[in-house]
Amino acid sequence: MSEVLTRAPGPAVLARGEWPAGPDDQPGTLPQIAGFVVSAFNPLVAQAAERCLVARYGAAPADAEIGARTGVVLASVRGDTATADAVRAALLAGRRVPPLLFFQSNPNAVVGYVTARWGLAGPVACTSPAGDPLADGMAVAELLIADGAADQVLVIAAELATSDDETDRAVAALVGP
Amino acid sequence: MAESVVVTGLAARSALGRGTSALLARACIGEPAFGDVTRFDATGRRTTVAATMPGTPVLADELVSVIEEARGGRYDCPLLLAGHADRTNAATAAEVARGLGLAVPARTYTAACVAATTAVADAAAMIAAGRADRVIVAAGFLVDEDIFALFDAGRALARDGRVRPFSAGRQGMVLGDAIAAVVLESATSAALRDAQVLATLAGWGRSGDAYHVCQPRPDGTGLARAIAAALTRAGVAADDVGYVNANGTGTVFNDSAEAAALHIALGEAVDRIPVSSTKSVHGHALEASGLLELVCTVLALRAGRLPVNAGYLGADDDCRLDLVVDRPRETDTRYALSVNAAFGGANTALLVGAP
Repeated sequence: MSEVLTRAPGPAVLARGEWPAGPDDQPGTLPQIAGFVVSAFNPLVAQAAERCLVARYGAAPADAEIGARTGVVLASVRGDTATADAVRAALLAGRRVPPLLFFQSNPNAVVGYVTARWGLAGPVACTSPAGDPLADGMAVAELLIADGAADQVLVIAAELATSDDETDRAVAALVGP
Repeated sequence: MAESVVVTGLAARSALGRGTSALLARACIGEPAFGDVTRFDATGRRTTVAATMPGTPVLADELVSVIEEARGGRYDCPLLLAGHADRTNAATAAEVARGLGLAVPARTYTAACVAATTAVADAAAMIAAGRADRVIVAAGFLVDEDIFALFDAGRALARDGRVRPFSAGRQGMVLGDAIAAVVLESATSAALRDAQVLATLAGWGRSGDAYHVCQPRPDGTGLARAIAAALTRAGVAADDVGYVNANGTGTVFNDSAEAAALHIALGEAVDRIPVSSTKSVHGHALEASGLLELVCTVLALRAGRLPVNAGYLGADDDCRLDLVVDRPRETDTRYALSVNAAFGGANTALLVGAP
């Protein structure tokens, strides 16, 4: 999906980050985030965002004035299937659903983690696109900027692997004028 | 010059009933639709209460039906959907589009409790920019066992089975079904086809808290920016706002943060603006709730009757607002706000105007 960044019209790509980005990015190597358990989805989103924002700003947080006008769009066709499956499995087995899954089951939560860490206080949108998630995320970002709701937008597209042949993947792009 | 955005169609169904008449009538008398869940076995949960429609509604079928009702005729236009984030979103969207003879929506908005209102804001942005003449926004949430168990595990549900927004003794939320659809249109397009304008969408605003994964910024400054953005876009002063349909989830921290936001955004006028949360009667429909609340707000403005903030037990010093309690309030106001906030610090505000 990252080829979208080189051919999409609209706002310029100011920085990008992705996971995996090289041979060291193997399953199980994603940095963990406190409170996010069971699934790789949220660490995956957070790591792609981190790499993108580090490429642009070096270290968190972003400049306060810029951060105040930076929105975030998280696009994922299937979402966090691992957490959803964990909830279903717990119910089928008659087990208690782990309390931490309450917030991590929703895509907004990891966006809250990223925005709090980097001071991004623009609009937050999470979507499940019908087509290419990065392309659709870029379209949502372009509309946010055109509407004057944000000056720049961090777009993150993330998908968990659906088979052993695939890898969990996430791409992040900071777009703006 | 941006196109003005108007509402030319709406429809909704919830545990309060099918159709908008029952929705406003029961909201105005503060009669909740809460009862023991029978759709699945809730035994062993901290509460067994939700606001569910009778029978076994099917999400895609309900969406098709409510959109047909809202659009009032066959025509092509973009469709934006909002719903819970899961692997079936694309299939549901395709099924709904097929049932309506419309193009498959580009996406389903899944941003928790601001999913539907974010879709409304995007639809309004498309129309204002001249990218579309008409956009249908629809959202659906049906209480299911998995979501109920998650919210129970997170201790978010009221153990007393009542939503008591901004009230002393509030214990949390009650989940509720909602299926709703709204047709947004440019004022020019509506005039050309002589369509009835039900309301204007005078302004819309959105913001992020940049604060926490699931807690709102306690000082309300994030949500206040969304409200201020909606008012600024509309060129409407706080003094001209005559009603707020609040997010009002009935949870301790959310309600106090929202009250703080309303004080910041509306200033001294907040003491004169009636506030209620219609979640107190239809429950929290998560991704769909904002659209059901927008429909309630339009209906209230048109009827000149403001819904009751049901379940109220008494004042909370952290929520000093002019709440509509006991009975509906008559109004001739021209503007009303519908406010929503979600996990991850996502906030929206929609400013509805009389036509």
